[in-house]
Amino acid sequence: MSGNNHQFAFFLGCIAPNRYPGIESAAIRTGKKLDIDLVPLKGASCCPAPGAFGSIDLNVWYAMAARNLVLAEQMGMDIALICNGCYKSIWEVNHKLKHNAELRDAVNEVLKEVDMEFKGTINVYHLAELYYNDEICGLARLRDSVNTPLSGVKVACHYGCHLLKPRKDREFSGDVIGDTEHPTWFEELVDALGAEAVEYRNKMQCCGAGGGVRGYDIAHALDITNEKLTNMTDAGAEAIVDTCPFCQLQFDRGQFEIQEKFGVEWNLPVLHFCEMLGLAQGMSPVELGLDLHQISCNSFLDKINGGQ
Amino acid sequence: MASAKAYKDAGLSARLADRYYRPAQDSDPTFVGDVERISGTEAHICYQCGTCTGSCPSAPRSSYRIRNFMRRTNLGLKELSLNDPDLWLCTTCYTCSDRCPRDLIPTDVIMAMRNMAAAQGILPKNMLGTVNFIYQTGHGVPNSDGNRAARVKLGLEPEPETTSKYPEYLPAIRKILEAYGTKQLADKVLAEGQ
Repeated sequence: MSGNNHQFAFFLGCIAPNRYPGIESAAIRTGKKLDIDLVPLKGASCCPAPGAFGSIDLNVWYAMAARNLVLAEQMGMDIALICNGCYKSIWEVNHKLKHNAELRDAVNEVLKEVDMEFKGTINVYHLAELYYNDEICGLARLRDSVNTPLSGVKVACHYGCHLLKPRKDREFSGDVIGDTEHPTWFEELVDALGAEAVEYRNKMQCCGAGGGVRGYDIAHALDITNEKLTNMTDAGAEAIVDTCPFCQLQFDRGQFEIQEKFGVEWNLPVLHFCEMLGLAQGMSPVELGLDLHQISCNSFLDKINGGQ
Repeated sequence: MASAKAYKDAGLSARLADRYYRPAQDSDPTFVGDVERISGTEAHICYQCGTCTGSCPSAPRSSYRIRNFMRRTNLGLKELSLNDPDLWLCTTCYTCSDRCPRDLIPTDVIMAMRNMAAAQGILPKNMLGTVNFIYQTGHGVPNSDGNRAARVKLGLEPEPETTSKYPEYLPAIRKILEAYGTKQLADKVLAEGQ
């Protein structure tokens, strides 16, 4: 159903706009073809990083995330975002403050000093769940927007952790997106773009970067990443697709670091779902900033171009 | 009467047979309550099945054992827990929390312990670096000249529609970081490290 424009306040986070700007650009431009209008959320900050801030002091994490939420409340718009880490901060703090009056009062006590008040009037969504949601977009609509199918390429889906887990704290309706042991909705999204999503061992495993571990013990984080890369490659994957720029950083820059530290070379291209959607809608690799990725995406691009 | 079950380690057998056994280390009976208050999860009903450690991506590659931290919570082993470098190896993937048959959130137990350790100035310095970046720019990963040029090439503005483009929003962020003492903690701990 076209003509039904859905507006969201677009929460950018840090890594997408500041390291992989093609994700930001792709989300905005592909959204136009899907009637998902992403409106700038002026003055937003870091979500803030749930690993670092949650570890230091959960209370400051709540208040900092609440400031971002209030900016969207003032616009009267629900938030759409493109990063699992941001989802944990923004969705989870919104949920906690809506349901815990004591916590909300404590946060508002501090927000009062900056002339703000959390009211709990908006909802928060990840773009990936909106693409899957028939009321907003849905698979058929997504498939119809594709003019350059990504056929002939095998892709490993990395769901990441903080969009779905912990399941008992999330409120996904139905069992499709809510399944954290063996979900398949991300594979369905990838199939809609014409690519083939492969099943691989332990696919719900973490990328290794979260909880501040990437900064604390990079070799430990990379060892987890390396296990995932092994499992993906074993299944014949020719690229990774993710819904989280931080996971993307860990896989993309991480492969370079793995080569340096462990002497293992993978050269597996890593793309955010928005970037893949951009390609499938005919955006060029340069328009998507794929040349900014540490691991060259050329093998993937050759494959899809060769398939046409 | 002889014990139905004996272990080769005589010391272990004696400890297991002693109903009033308490750990040799200083046990703090308030620890479990504090952990439960901060984490919001009932750590004391943990029955030590080990599903958490069995699900943990960090366990196979380190000495970090989430089940061990759950046990220490209930034994009141506060100082041991807060000073253990393994406390910082949890990637917060929440797989243990999804699978816990007691419906606990062990990940949040770790987060609570990290909060308590951080309050004592025990935490990885890189996390405080993130605090300073946010204090200065609003972003944990700030913009850079190379990225500004790349953004322009993509048809985006050099600064995203965040605090990068609207620094007038920074004072509120700084006030929040100061209200919780987070900025002060970062300055103090980072100064001590030099």
